[in-house]
Amino acid sequence: MNGKTILRTAAVLASCLVLGACGNDPYRGNSFEVLYDSLFKGDAAPQPVTAAQIAQVMAATDLPMAFVNIEERKAQTVLIRIETNGPYGTYATADRKNMVMRNGMITSTRGLGDDLMSTDVDAVLSLVRKRTTGNAVYIQRFLRSDDATRVLTYRCGVEPDKSVDVAMGLVRGRATEVIVACESEDGPPFVDYYVVDGSGEILASRQWLGVTTGYVAMHRLRL
Amino acid sequence: MPYGGANQPGRIRRGLAISGVSVTAILLTGTVLAEAVPSFNLYGLPGLVDMPTAEMAPDGTLGFTYGRIGDSHRGTMMFQITPKLIGAFRYSGIDQYTGLGEVGGVYYDRSFDLRYQLWNEGAIRPAVAVGLQDFIGTGAYSAEYVVATKTIAPGLKVTGGLGWGRLATHNPVATFGARPPILGAGNIFNAANSTGGTLSYDNWFRGDVAPFAGISYAPNDRLTFTLEYSSDDYPVETTNANFDYASSINLGVDYRLKNGTQLSAYYAYGSALGFQVTYPLNPKTLGMPGGIEPAGVPVKPRQPSDIGDLGWTTEMASAKAVTKDRLVKSLQKESLEIEGMTLEPRRATIRLRNPIYGAPSQAIGRAARVMTRVLPASVEEFTIVPVENGMAMSAVTMRRSDLERLENDAAVEMLARTSITDAFGKAPPTDLDNFPKFIWALEPYYSYSTFDPQSPLRLDVGAKLSGTVQFTPNIILTGAIKKRFLGNLDDISRLDESKLPRVRTDYAAYNREGDPAIDQLTLSFFGRPGRDLYSRFTVGYLEQMYAGASAELLWKPVDSRLGLGVEVNYVQRRDYDQLFGLQENVTTDPISGAQMTIPHVNGHVSAYYDFGKGYHGQLDVGRYLAGDYGGTLTLQREFANGWKVGAFATLTDVSSEDFGEGSFDKGIMITVPLSVGLGTPSRTTSTTVLRSVQRDGGARVFVPDRLYEKVRTWHEPQVEDSWGRFWR
Repeated sequence: MNGKTILRTAAVLASCLVLGACGNDPYRGNSFEVLYDSLFKGDAAPQPVTAAQIAQVMAATDLPMAFVNIEERKAQTVLIRIETNGPYGTYATADRKNMVMRNGMITSTRGLGDDLMSTDVDAVLSLVRKRTTGNAVYIQRFLRSDDATRVLTYRCGVEPDKSVDVAMGLVRGRATEVIVACESEDGPPFVDYYVVDGSGEILASRQWLGVTTGYVAMHRLRL
Repeated sequence: MPYGGANQPGRIRRGLAISGVSVTAILLTGTVLAEAVPSFNLYGLPGLVDMPTAEMAPDGTLGFTYGRIGDSHRGTMMFQITPKLIGAFRYSGIDQYTGLGEVGGVYYDRSFDLRYQLWNEGAIRPAVAVGLQDFIGTGAYSAEYVVATKTIAPGLKVTGGLGWGRLATHNPVATFGARPPILGAGNIFNAANSTGGTLSYDNWFRGDVAPFAGISYAPNDRLTFTLEYSSDDYPVETTNANFDYASSINLGVDYRLKNGTQLSAYYAYGSALGFQVTYPLNPKTLGMPGGIEPAGVPVKPRQPSDIGDLGWTTEMASAKAVTKDRLVKSLQKESLEIEGMTLEPRRATIRLRNPIYGAPSQAIGRAARVMTRVLPASVEEFTIVPVENGMAMSAVTMRRSDLERLENDAAVEMLARTSITDAFGKAPPTDLDNFPKFIWALEPYYSYSTFDPQSPLRLDVGAKLSGTVQFTPNIILTGAIKKRFLGNLDDISRLDESKLPRVRTDYAAYNREGDPAIDQLTLSFFGRPGRDLYSRFTVGYLEQMYAGASAELLWKPVDSRLGLGVEVNYVQRRDYDQLFGLQENVTTDPISGAQMTIPHVNGHVSAYYDFGKGYHGQLDVGRYLAGDYGGTLTLQREFANGWKVGAFATLTDVSSEDFGEGSFDKGIMITVPLSVGLGTPSRTTSTTVLRSVQRDGGARVFVPDRLYEKVRTWHEPQVEDSWGRFWR
């Protein structure tokens, strides 16, 4: 070993110790790194999705897809349907964030933080799809920080509103706006909007996904 | 779609008629989710300035307080053990002190408090609590109280109470029986309490009793003003230090930052200025709920026509090889590993290793979803056998059609259809393709010692090189060597006499001479000797001070809340330099010169019990390092995300005089999961144990990889606790 090699080895070892650990265990967590990241690494500024990018993604695949805007975080993304299970479709981003939709209603999320783990939407979805007035129970489930499940039971009023024209991506047509206003003793009240076509498919929406994510706007780009 | 009775109309108390309800009215209603955290006093408990209130913090709150009044410092950690019970540990110092027990002009003291709320606040009834302050310390802060608090208008609370002990030193109004004065013969220490640390229950609620009262007003949720009438005369501080007592009226103002930190300033006792910082946190709400890690793969439902297709079974060997290869690659993307697999036409079993997921259910759920995507369609039954150190921990069995059907339902639906049984005899054979395996790491380390009056906190920082050779999954060689870069653990000069073999009190010599030091060098064998049985045998350099061998056997049925274990150790004292040398098991006391022998053999019988709701108990009975016989009781509250807060006490046949300062071994521990800071899964946790004093009685050898914690991770009670993460 010459002097240069020794120096280089020493530099590597020193950087190991300053910035965390070296080793060959891919799963080893490092508290120093965590501390460093939490102090000095802010969230990257969200980038808006451009029409050109949407066109590019749509050209790359024939799969159904949707555009989503998380208002609170000013985060926009395009999700592609990667799997279906009965009436449910799993839509995913390239970095493995998922949303599951049923006829266009978001029923769960994964990877956003404080995810909507599951929902009971049968009654509300049925009213929304039929575009009729009525009351229904709607249940959201979240995890708490201590991994216990938090169940929020909402009572929702569903009411159709005006007709609108839809033109997003390849989805075009005449549809009806449906307003769903929900209230609960378990969580804050919210009002969702759904744009529903003649077959009962939700083409676009503004949906409440819990206190952390807030309202999310969704437009389907290809059914 | 079955929703398992989750639509419970009984839960809805009010209906909502949409017509006529304006959208903005609903949006402006806001949310009331967070529970209110009360103001903390100088003792670090919910209270006024120096006086307690009957308030409780939200369940699970951990509160860290530094309070200073005049020349007194108080560092307190409080824990809301149950919604009604608070426990606290305090380390305090009084500057300018001139009495017995003084070190460098400071009198240091450790104390424990308990407060129990008898009734919470009703429409008319005030909240009422009873408290014990400094009930096993040396007694400088010893007091008991009964206190009531009532909110009489929004933000306005009044408190009144009766105090005993220190809280009855100002204007007592009555006397209940006899109680030795706090300043026995002009000093804190007298013959009766020179060792401190005994339960002084025969003095509780005895002697003088005095009233105290106060009022607090919070005009908003940031600001609180307090005014109190104190029943504490500060006798210790006035007699032995420079406290100037002039008034019993104290004033304070609290300001709460957005993150919950409380900053307070006080003018107290007509002469003293005080200030305080309290940082309350709650494991239940700290950190991003559910984490921010990427999603698992979705379930891939089968085509009904494929389910009956057994064509692939004609070429079983190659089908198995191809399937396994795909399974390994897909699981890798989930940071999971398999150590073996059996594939049958209708059933598959995998040995699963979980390197990162703190919640067992998340590892199981992700593996199960991968299996739906990879295994041939005819395979209906999945059994996942989690392994730790090569030991099969449990067999988690589920039906593939349930996974397909319940993917979008409440997680409990899947739990109801999952069985967790003993894996003994069910685990597939281990593939040894990847063994032996060598893993190493070079990382920083720190070590500390607390509560030495000459330097209450000592800290070493350095580098640690560790390596593990897994010859097979259950035969493991582990070593670690460390080198200090800076620190002051090596200059401990305090010498205490011990009436016992110096099994722990020679720590100064170990810290001084052990640099570099071999932290650990052990060879361990893990096994499953029978149904419900787990075993470990460890030989080598076990810890800083002892080498030897340790054998452990644990009985823990998968569905049981009870576990029973036995551990026997043979130990030989290591050289102070902590390299390869050993020394005789004979110690010489530096003060008395007495020579004592450490017995080679020690060991315990242990009972572990999971009380449910996160409360865990452990009782160890047996022979300790110094040859003393007795038992250790440990109680812990644990949160499913990995936080643990606990306390332990050890009573042995060593008398409190022979034990020395503290009278018996006791302490508290906090475990913090790394995932809290990370927001992504990690099994790494960091545990801090705070002992009031490290003495030689009731000491145990530190053996790496004791079985119970790893075993219970995969057993029914704990898997159920975190089941909400199955689909995460």
